[in-house]
Amino acid sequence: MGDILGLVAKRLGLGLIILLVISVIIFFMVELLPGDIAQAVLGQGATPENLAALRKEMGLDQPAIIRYLNWLRGAVVFDFGNSIVTGASVADTISERFANTLFLAAYAAVIAVPVSIVLGVLVALARNSIFDRVANVATLTSISSPEFFLGYILILYFSVKWGMFPAIASLSSDMSFGELLNRTFLPALTLVLVVTAHMMRMTRAAIINLLASPYIEMARLKGTPPWKVIVKHALPNAWAPIINVVALNLAYLITGVVLVEVVFVYPGIGQALVDAVSKRDFPVVQACCLIFAATFILLNLAADVGSILTNPRLRHPK
Amino acid sequence: MSVFVILYYTLLLGASCLAAYYKKRSAFLLLFSLTLVSFILGIIGGVAALRIVAISAGLLGLSAMVSYAFREFLIMIAPRNMAKELRTAPLTAAFGMFVIFTVAIAGIFAPFIAPFGEAEVISSAFAPADENMLLGADQLGRDMFSRLVFGARNTVALALAGTVLAFTLGALAGLLAATSGGWFDQVIARTSDVIMSIPSLIFALLMLSIFGGELANDTTSFWLLTGFAMVTGLLVVSAVSERSVMGWVIGLAVLAGVSAVFAGAMLILFNPSEIILILVVAVIYSPRVFRLTRAVAGNVVVMDYIEAAKLRGERTWYLIRREILPNSTAPLVAEFGLEFCFVFLLIAGLSFLGLGIQPPTADWGSMVRENATLISFGDITPLIPAAAIALLTVAVNFVVDWMLYRSSGLKV
Repeated sequence: MGDILGLVAKRLGLGLIILLVISVIIFFMVELLPGDIAQAVLGQGATPENLAALRKEMGLDQPAIIRYLNWLRGAVVFDFGNSIVTGASVADTISERFANTLFLAAYAAVIAVPVSIVLGVLVALARNSIFDRVANVATLTSISSPEFFLGYILILYFSVKWGMFPAIASLSSDMSFGELLNRTFLPALTLVLVVTAHMMRMTRAAIINLLASPYIEMARLKGTPPWKVIVKHALPNAWAPIINVVALNLAYLITGVVLVEVVFVYPGIGQALVDAVSKRDFPVVQACCLIFAATFILLNLAADVGSILTNPRLRHPK
Repeated sequence: MSVFVILYYTLLLGASCLAAYYKKRSAFLLLFSLTLVSFILGIIGGVAALRIVAISAGLLGLSAMVSYAFREFLIMIAPRNMAKELRTAPLTAAFGMFVIFTVAIAGIFAPFIAPFGEAEVISSAFAPADENMLLGADQLGRDMFSRLVFGARNTVALALAGTVLAFTLGALAGLLAATSGGWFDQVIARTSDVIMSIPSLIFALLMLSIFGGELANDTTSFWLLTGFAMVTGLLVVSAVSERSVMGWVIGLAVLAGVSAVFAGAMLILFNPSEIILILVVAVIYSPRVFRLTRAVAGNVVVMDYIEAAKLRGERTWYLIRREILPNSTAPLVAEFGLEFCFVFLLIAGLSFLGLGIQPPTADWGSMVRENATLISFGDITPLIPAAAIALLTVAVNFVVDWMLYRSSGLKV
């Protein structure tokens, strides 16, 4: 077990380094602005005294390296300073929204993962049949459609025409869990449609790759019943690619959520990011980007680690 | 039981019986499962659901006929060897080519096709369709159809420019990294790793928050463009000049001139905020192109004929141009189509968020957002530009799918 832990630790270290580099990029990109944040806050009509006072308050009189280290120290304990538009603490505004986004992503994942894996395996088993081709065209269409297209179609039918679900996902803290699930059903369904298509295709490819290998043919030739070939011979080896597929798509869910949140006016972190970008509220933009990047890297890492754990061959890299 | 329902089931059952009789196994399976599904749909959704199924089947049949005719047309006008390739194209690919062709025509001849200008206010807000306006008016009273046609020009041109830039930079870096290897390869590979570990939409939003404001002016975008062109060009110069000082001097001088001309030309074609968008997209997607090119070229570089060319004393640029590139065209062309889809969806998404192409320029993404309120009245107008985005992306994907199938061993 020792060398597995070592490998996992190595991957974690690599992820940490990448995250550090990304934090450098996110922080120093704002430095590219002409003037500085103080100038951006006060606008053109600022007096030099006002500027100097604000700079002192925001710590802009210190060199960039020191400010970066301060920012990073804050970010580690989830303290991103104050918004330059509202003046409120960024962490307070974001943390609740982040929880909402995670809830939406989890909701979608709980539906999408089992459905897409089962469908993917079925389609792989029926490959080159007419169902496979129909599924291929359908998933390709679903992947190619922008999220807002699917979202608006769902709104048009499920909420405007048939009145089954609310179109706007407004949340309040005193809602029951069932009510919450009902309110967030349409955004979750949009995400499910997009992610299921991705996952189905990737699962299908992984399974087909496996079914083409000689030991499966051997199992078939010796007369093993088909379900046993799948469950006993193919599945143990299929876990690695399937875990990979799931983790990669969860990473996609976390970021694909931005457009869906805007369509359904869902109070999540993606909406916060878009608002901050159009208002040029840099502390919020930086915080959101760092959170998204960290989640993305974490899930990619999970994919790596998962495939190492399930595939003994990867434990002994050549 | 209306006449429609009776006709519907008679047709389906008749067709499945015929298919079964003539031993068309897959057609029978499809038709009969559709019949079974319609039983359930009919019970749950009533006649309306069946009508939707019938209409979509009709549309599917129509598009199949169009694609078949278009493929035959292409086979007729194409030269001999290309016609042979086209004959192997599945109907989906033909459909894709037809859509791409239509959008290209609409984009190129937009001012002649569109009855009104893209920013021309001709009636009241959200006016319904009449004999003047095919699709009604948008939120400011501009003709929806004209804006759709102009959108084909603006959105697609932007996405195409972004893809071309991303592809040039990524492919050149990938080819050079594959041929030279060593620290150059390592540095670029690690850089692209970092860029790719930030989700693309998030990275685009970050860059737009910085370059989107007052930095989106003529001077900044000129220098950014020149810088981009210089970086790309440096790769070419380093491959061509090969350690000769004279080559570097001449190369750099030519490069500086070419970059400035390129930046000037781009500034004439696009406005500054669009150029920022193009550059953002190019920076985000070039690492993906780099990875693929590096992998494809890496397989070619180890071939014996490359070794032979090296022993002959050929230069890096010759190797890239005459040996590696011709042997990796097929996957690169497919990758170009795929990248175009990603870029197109990213730009459409950004415009939908109000951060991409700025009004009054007609653009499919922002048209969806501007008219989104109509959805709550059950009007499908805002879905039309969204459907156009989906249709074009699907079309490109269909064609790419076919090319991948043809060029690679993906024949599973």
